[in-house]
Amino acid sequence: MSGLLGPLDSEGRVPHGQQTRVAAFLISAHGALARQFALALPAKFEAGWQTELNAQFYRESEIVSLLMRATAWVPDLALGYMTISWEAAWLPMPNEGIPDRSLWQAVHLATLAHAVHAGIRPAALLPLEANPNDPFVMALRRIEFESGRLLQAQILFLKGPDQLPFRDTVSRVLESRHTELRKLWHDTLASLGIVRE
Amino acid sequence: MPFLTHGSYRIRYELDGPATAPAYVLVNGLTQYSELWTAYRDALIARGFRVATFDLLGQGASDKPTLFINQDDHVLALHRLIEMLGEGPVFLSGISFGGLIALRYAIEYGRRLSGLVPMSCFAELSPQLLLIGNALRTGLILGGTGYLQDLLLPMNLSNEWLRPLLDKLDGVKRQGWLVNDLYALQNLMDSFLDFQPLTPQLASIAVPTMILNGEFDFLTPRALHETLRVGIPNSALVIIPSAYHAFTLEKGALTADLLARFADDVLAGRWQGNKAVWIAPEEPGGELTPFPAGYDHLRAIPVQRTQA
Repeated sequence: MSGLLGPLDSEGRVPHGQQTRVAAFLISAHGALARQFALALPAKFEAGWQTELNAQFYRESEIVSLLMRATAWVPDLALGYMTISWEAAWLPMPNEGIPDRSLWQAVHLATLAHAVHAGIRPAALLPLEANPNDPFVMALRRIEFESGRLLQAQILFLKGPDQLPFRDTVSRVLESRHTELRKLWHDTLASLGIVRE
Repeated sequence: MPFLTHGSYRIRYELDGPATAPAYVLVNGLTQYSELWTAYRDALIARGFRVATFDLLGQGASDKPTLFINQDDHVLALHRLIEMLGEGPVFLSGISFGGLIALRYAIEYGRRLSGLVPMSCFAELSPQLLLIGNALRTGLILGGTGYLQDLLLPMNLSNEWLRPLLDKLDGVKRQGWLVNDLYALQNLMDSFLDFQPLTPQLASIAVPTMILNGEFDFLTPRALHETLRVGIPNSALVIIPSAYHAFTLEKGALTADLLARFADDVLAGRWQGNKAVWIAPEEPGGELTPFPAGYDHLRAIPVQRTQA
């Protein structure tokens, strides 16, 4: 058991089986965010903050596109049932006390995005010796870096004045999302023999 | 890996050394983690102390609250840790952000302490520190944890320390980058958004206090430590020669020696703060020398103090 991807091959590349499963998880998570941001996008913007929805949608789509092309894919039979459990986790949770339905939907999306962007650090899986010019290695680094920037919109929204009356609910939902996502991520890594503390 | 609980959160701590010995509790700076005190643990245990270290909420192996971290929570977690130490003497030291938490603990629970050592510390945000803090936070947001480390390393460590590591900096930064999550660091920084100066409360700190400040500390320069020296009655300021903000990393053996000597002096009844200003030796075990009489320790050039 190790805490990192590998062992790397002689050119510093991550084993293809690990690439496949890690990329599948990330595509499932960021793909779900891309779909949900797409649904939240109005045809015409009426407020400045809606431009951020547009940015989030395209960045998430870019991450999916990047992984599709940067990953050295190999057949993985386990992905069938794993994908089902991942996709089920991205569905909205039951409303826990925010009476405004549209606000609740926004809180759901923001908490899910916060958990994905803050809680999943794919670059932290890379050994120091990983080849910086390998496309998969570069993709993981780009995703982690971009996630830090995308996260700022979720932080601003979740800490914002609209959520102040529901601060306890929002915090509870967010902690729960983080816990759930961390477990899925750690289970996925454990299936590859990678154990995160 | 032991944990203590604070509300719904878990705080990772380490406690080593004989249970009957006087204890030193060491509090991390903002981007630190408790393993960075390992050399201190070994040195202080060898000098007859018990040593407690921990990761603050949001750091290392402690829980990382997702949205908000209140500085009160750090003080309460520290209180829980010190409660575990029993009735013996407790010395508390912290660096930078951890020094601030130690100051707040001393203000609220000072009677439990035998001595206090704030290092590279501040009780208020000067305009420079406020603006530097804001810029560091923006750097973290725009460039990630790695960029924050890139800014802090040259600001807080000497050329002598950095030069042999220039081609190995990725490795030097890696552990801090791994254990510190961006959102958690940002939450720790955001806890300053409603920061209130501690300066008016410093006079309530009655315990012997040794204030340590690097000679070339750029981030928290002498004037910020002067606030502590003037405000804390039984204090002395000790200037660490040729040192920067992160002298605990760079001059671990010297700093651990100063911590042990301070505690020994307090326990033996020899400590007299007198708001004096001292210059630490270059090496562990050397003599402290008084800052030259008549000269202004707040200046970088030898300027004679004007008569009040």
